[in-house]
Amino acid sequence: MEFKVRDNKAYAATGGKDYDNSLETVVFLHGTGLDHRCWALQTRWFAYNGYSVLAPDFPGHSLSEGNPLTSIEDMANWLIEALNATGVKKAHIVGHSQGFLAALELARQAPERVASLIGIGTAAAIPVNPALIEAAHRSSSEAANMLIQWGFGQKAHMGISAVPGMQPIAIGRQIMSSNPVEADLRACADYTSGEQVAAEIKAPSHLILAGQDKLTPLKAGLALAKQLNANHTIIDGYGHMLPIEAPKQCLQALRKIIATSK
Amino acid sequence: MSRSSYLKPDTIALHSGYTPESDHGSRAVPVYQTTSYVFESVSDASSLFNVEQGGHIYSRITNPTVAVLEQRIAALEGGVGAICTASGMSALFTTFITLCSAGDHIVSSAQIYGSTATLLRHTLKRLNIGCSFIPINDEQALRDAIQPNTKLVFCESIGNPGLEVADLPQISRIANEMGLPVVVDATFATPSLCRPIDHGANVVVHSVTKWMGGHGVAVGGVVVDGGQFDWSASGRFPELTEPYAPFHGIRFWEEYGPSALAMKIRAESMRDIGAALSPHSAFLILQGIETLSLRMKQHVHNAKQMTDWLQTQEEALWVNHPDMESNPSHQIAAQLFPNGAGSMVCFGVAGGRAGGAAFIDALQLASNLANVGDSRTLVLHPGSTTHSRLTPEDMIAAGISEDMIRVSVGIEDIADIKADFARGLRAAKRVAEAQ
Repeated sequence: MEFKVRDNKAYAATGGKDYDNSLETVVFLHGTGLDHRCWALQTRWFAYNGYSVLAPDFPGHSLSEGNPLTSIEDMANWLIEALNATGVKKAHIVGHSQGFLAALELARQAPERVASLIGIGTAAAIPVNPALIEAAHRSSSEAANMLIQWGFGQKAHMGISAVPGMQPIAIGRQIMSSNPVEADLRACADYTSGEQVAAEIKAPSHLILAGQDKLTPLKAGLALAKQLNANHTIIDGYGHMLPIEAPKQCLQALRKIIATSK
Repeated sequence: MSRSSYLKPDTIALHSGYTPESDHGSRAVPVYQTTSYVFESVSDASSLFNVEQGGHIYSRITNPTVAVLEQRIAALEGGVGAICTASGMSALFTTFITLCSAGDHIVSSAQIYGSTATLLRHTLKRLNIGCSFIPINDEQALRDAIQPNTKLVFCESIGNPGLEVADLPQISRIANEMGLPVVVDATFATPSLCRPIDHGANVVVHSVTKWMGGHGVAVGGVVVDGGQFDWSASGRFPELTEPYAPFHGIRFWEEYGPSALAMKIRAESMRDIGAALSPHSAFLILQGIETLSLRMKQHVHNAKQMTDWLQTQEEALWVNHPDMESNPSHQIAAQLFPNGAGSMVCFGVAGGRAGGAAFIDALQLASNLANVGDSRTLVLHPGSTTHSRLTPEDMIAAGISEDMIRVSVGIEDIADIKADFARGLRAAKRVAEAQ
């Protein structure tokens, strides 16, 4: 669905069904360089199984217009405006990687909007190597190459795709190459208050972490779970790009977590 | 580097798309010889049918063995996904019918496989899908042929049997500028020699029956989605950007982005047309792909030896291969095929059509049959077989002459192939002398 935020056209995928604010809502927030398409195999299930779904593209990503946001705090501000624009009073907030940092900030700034907080492949801080930012400055495609190579676990590099016949690595690379990776990386690198914010969060929280995550290592994810006093689920054998490389396992975990958060 | 894998091509050919399965640890890809798959629950079945999750439903649409082949070829070609089909022709039909509806139009190279020409000229015409045939490397001819209802530009990376190499960067630039995807049949090349997506093409089609398999024991095809065409910006493809009624109004472009075309082919054409590749055939093709690059090196080596030798034979009136300077597309071939432009060789024999027949009938090692890309050397007289349905004018446009012998040079010892061809040339000479 399309809506306006800050006078720009914004887009959120709704899982193939019209958004209905009478239903319990699940909001999916994408990570660095990604967009709503990384949630294709989670959003549709929720939309067809009793929930309303919104998977927004942050400004400058995919179908949302405007300049990319330059800080995690501003992403949270933008999200609050997006929730206002779409009529979402309260929602389960699911964030992947950088998307979860934005979710954390949202929970701090507007706790009344958060029914539960679910992080996937994330940590309280996501430090970024300056060389990666420099690569992203040269081109999103160059940075995407590095992020995808490190981001996917060995199974995705070698193994069977969850969607028959598709190459998740190629799809991820294609998506990331077309999005403003540099701005996202800088926002991640600059965000250092995750630990402090996590300690303040009262919303029920759960983290879904990857056993082979090289970008937000499992150890850092577990530390965040402790700071949040959150439960966690570990999906072994996969890397940072869990929603794309292990969509079924991600979906199963999300279904269970959200069902028990009701 | 392939655009869709960080493994090198020779590793992709052996590993991509499969890790030893958990129950038995089978190192080889198992043949999942099954029609259907048990659902975990009614809810699970429902979510599979509604594309809420990936997985297998019925082998007409997907099959685990076929999926390994699809993923492996997608990785070799640098695509985001692939759909295997029952044959190369069904791969083409599936692609055309997914992108075109009644009233639409295709621009095609004139120099293409005879059955493809028939599909475009006659069969699709019955569905009110028109086609203009042009010399594909003629920039102005391409621009002039594109109409408001044109949906795609089609060519073969190496034309059959004229062996003209398509100028893929130029064709892709022009077509993409005008909002059109480029569909390339790369059967004669294989990704081992040229990956069209790297040169701007958007969709790659193969008859995997040929060099990909190499053994000549299984018929199959594949469509590879390059994933880089913007179906929305083009404005010509409501089939991919507007709601699709059979799946609750799904918008393929919006939901799947780069893999929109592959998902649409899977959801519509495999469901409705059902030209599925059998799991056993997929298994056989996989065996061939494991040695693809090794075989292609030998094919190219033997083709070079053969063209060099034929040029010294007085009964061979002319010889054509894209790597020869006399081939009009030689410079493009050198650019797109740095390791050699395949193993198809055409030449004319003394004695015209009768001489050609005598040549073929005298051969004892090479096989006279309607196939190419076998590891064994194959020969054919296109004018009386694969391209016999073309008019004399269309045959000339396709680069075919009466005296043409088409050779798919195999990987036997080149000395034995030469000895066999020397026998054939002597037979042709006798016919020519008697005329």
